[in-house]
Amino acid sequence: MNPFATRSTGYQWIWPTSAMALVLGVMLTMAWITAQTRQSRFSELPTDVRDRLNAASLDFQGEYFKVQQELKSLRESFGELREENTKLQNAVADQTKSSQLLNESLQEVKTFAGLTEVEGPGLMITLRDAKNAPEGLGDYAVIHDIDVLKVVNELWNAGAEAISVNDLRVGPHTNFRCVGSVILVDRVQIASPVVIRAIGDPKTLEGALDLPLGVLAEIRQVEPTMVKLERVENMRMPGFAGSTKPKFMKAVPPKG
Amino acid sequence: MIFIPLIALFVGIALGLLFNQPLPGIAGTYLALACVAGLDSVLGGVRSALESKFDSEILVTGFVSNTLIAFGLGYLGDQIGLNLFLASALVLGGRIFTNLSVIRRYGITRLRDARARREMLNQDAAPGPKP
Repeated sequence: MNPFATRSTGYQWIWPTSAMALVLGVMLTMAWITAQTRQSRFSELPTDVRDRLNAASLDFQGEYFKVQQELKSLRESFGELREENTKLQNAVADQTKSSQLLNESLQEVKTFAGLTEVEGPGLMITLRDAKNAPEGLGDYAVIHDIDVLKVVNELWNAGAEAISVNDLRVGPHTNFRCVGSVILVDRVQIASPVVIRAIGDPKTLEGALDLPLGVLAEIRQVEPTMVKLERVENMRMPGFAGSTKPKFMKAVPPKG
Repeated sequence: MIFIPLIALFVGIALGLLFNQPLPGIAGTYLALACVAGLDSVLGGVRSALESKFDSEILVTGFVSNTLIAFGLGYLGDQIGLNLFLASALVLGGRIFTNLSVIRRYGITRLRDARARREMLNQDAAPGPKP
């Protein structure tokens, strides 16, 4: 005989089991509602964003989107303030010859650092996620942060003078990161299609990117339509809108 | 009397619908596993009642420990990059099948007993040649 068995008679099992069934009912409904909510929120997103998000992380994404919007508007006002700064510098410089010279070199440095709006000829590269990727190539069919980084690096190498990614100017501190499945440029979220624009000699830039076994060859192998190159006669790009205030470094005064 | 657990289940579902609150983040994923553990426990309770060895303490501790172990395994799996959720779901799912099949066997046995008893009673009642 089973020593653990205790004989019970009648219906004494009913109430504990019923209580458990009650809890089970609540849990089942909650799980169902959770799954439903996720699914419905998920389906309202555009396809390219949906591909990049995994359903479970959506709840955190909601908060994140809000902060991102705030960041975007702050960056816009930053750009306006910097423009005003340039105007004021020009106004001050109008007064004397020496200050005019000083201002010229200042503006030159600002342009070099990518703090001003610039225009010129160049190349426009559009990277987008593959639409009909071959089976089993899921991860390769998506544009990653490393792809953007490689293209930007190659463009600098080919003599580009100014680069922007989805209208975010690439400045001295610009970084490309991947958080979850979204690309971050200086912590601003971007999604496919990624439009990289570079000012420089269009022919040289295109040649550098078209090199066999070059940075784009791998992406093109997955699907040729993932990459589009366009030469542009003249285009404008905004200035770098991030902070430029150093926290730790100090300039060393020249000797002598 | 035996329909009370079923009624309780529907009351629970109604309460959940009334509450209508999705769980955020990873807790939602874990809740699904808790559901499977709960289903296993309730069916286990019914089964043990049919086997006349029902023990409410075993039922309740079984439910709590199963849920905790499932959570723990799931968490561990998340940490070491192996989907151990699957292991819990598989074992609990298998137990649900076992419990249901035992309950089915008990039901069938009870039906057959009843039928046999009725036939015997009919035979007794039937007028026939007495030995």
